[in-house]
Amino acid sequence: MAWHTRASTSPTWKLPDPVADENIVQVSGLKFARSGRPIFSGLDLAIPRGSITAIMGPSGTGKTTLLRMITGQLRPHAGAVTVAGQNVAELSRSKLFDLRRRMGMLFQNSALLTDFSVFENVAFPLRENTRLPDELIRQVVLTKLNSVGLRGAADLMPSELSGGMSRRVAMARAIVMDPELLLYDEPFSGLDPISLGVVLRLIRINNDALGLTSVVVSHDVAEITQIADFCFVISEGKVIASGPPKDLAGSSSELVRQFMTGAADGPVPFHYPAPDYALQLLGTSR
Amino acid sequence: MTLTLQLWGGLIDSLRKLGAVILFLLEILKQCPGALARPRLISQQVHHSGVLSLVIIMTSAFFVGMVIGLQGYDSLSRLRQEDILGAGVALTLFKELGPVVTALLFAGRAGTALASEIGLMRATDQLSAMEVMAIDPIRRIVAPRFLGAVISVPLLTTVFNAIGILGAWFIGVLVMGVDNGAFWSQMQEFVDPPDIFEGVAKSVVFGITAGLVAVFEGYNAPPTAEGVGMATTRTVVTTSILVLVFDYVITAFLI
Repeated sequence: MAWHTRASTSPTWKLPDPVADENIVQVSGLKFARSGRPIFSGLDLAIPRGSITAIMGPSGTGKTTLLRMITGQLRPHAGAVTVAGQNVAELSRSKLFDLRRRMGMLFQNSALLTDFSVFENVAFPLRENTRLPDELIRQVVLTKLNSVGLRGAADLMPSELSGGMSRRVAMARAIVMDPELLLYDEPFSGLDPISLGVVLRLIRINNDALGLTSVVVSHDVAEITQIADFCFVISEGKVIASGPPKDLAGSSSELVRQFMTGAADGPVPFHYPAPDYALQLLGTSR
Repeated sequence: MTLTLQLWGGLIDSLRKLGAVILFLLEILKQCPGALARPRLISQQVHHSGVLSLVIIMTSAFFVGMVIGLQGYDSLSRLRQEDILGAGVALTLFKELGPVVTALLFAGRAGTALASEIGLMRATDQLSAMEVMAIDPIRRIVAPRFLGAVISVPLLTTVFNAIGILGAWFIGVLVMGVDNGAFWSQMQEFVDPPDIFEGVAKSVVFGITAGLVAVFEGYNAPPTAEGVGMATTRTVVTTSILVLVFDYVITAFLI
């Protein structure tokens, strides 16, 4: 599995400095609540250029919400999300769209356009955002499809693809505009081991070969720690741990250790809060 | 007190939704020039919403025409005025039944398809994916479908009127024995341009209504199977009520 480890494929990698100017994404004092329930309560994190940064945390901690704030689909209630030096929430619609042309995003369910073929799905951003001639679009699309190993599937419809193939098509579509920043929302969920390995490899290769920055939201600890340069663990609206993957495993925080090892019980209890078991069985409590 | 509060809350919710619909319409209108610059997208939607609705429209129109022809003949023959059957049928169809029934059928066939299609795109993150790709879903998805509906409903109404008159002619002239010349000449005599205008005005308003309700409900559908289903149902119910309300309002203004 050495092919997708950080050291073997990215010799120029260095430990990211969260306060360096080279951060492509900077989140400071982020607060956000949904239906009165706080999702973020003063979240701070920085994502350095050129790295693969993992954002991990238990389900429902707002990982996908954070991605939607980076893309400007949601606005924070307080604090700021800055991408490439621009405060996303303060951008006009046209400036936001300009910024989005520099990003790509892989959705958890791939979000392929179901009425379009694989080829047309990948060509879609080019057709809508550029005035490139058809022949050039064809060449770019075939190049991107080849890079994810699906050039031969160009004429298939999304309904004919497996989960892993859909994810790879979505990846080709996400990189077709040559973005600076690529966001992955749970890219490993529901994949078989072979597809998972392929997606892991593509994330690392895309990041290094295209010189982009990758942000991977995932709770698949074993997988993401194989390729991530830096990790943030989010819980209860804040970053509770950050650092290179190997450092997190030895964290002093019980919650981080429970998350990294996948222990069933711990600070996040196995049982949902409930009245006394014996009293409930004897019928004195509902 | 509780009932008053509930009524007040309902009123506030309704006003909020009305405001959201108006803002949505303004956003669509803002994006319409961009959509019109790509006529192929709109012609595709006219095909999906309009051409594919032709079978139900033509079939319904023929039977509606036959019923009006039969009822009209029955009523007029008591007054020995069967010769004006053509005029009566044409006025009924052009001014009322043509636009109204076409809009109701359109809401049931094409409106539900539009709402569920857009709702499903929302539920499967296709609209979110477009936003992240810097493609405005209102411009690329909503505006062409809205314009497709606005163009289709008046055209379908015209077809409905023509087929309805044929249905009435079939029953009145071929079956009941009304004079063929009288049927057509009385229609020419009594149907004036303002009657046609009233029907056209109604069909345009109904097209805007049916298209707007369908795309609004689909675009704002909760991203669940139940949410899409509810949006589809609301499309038919809301469009039907609004069409009947607007029908009365336009008639009251133009009569």
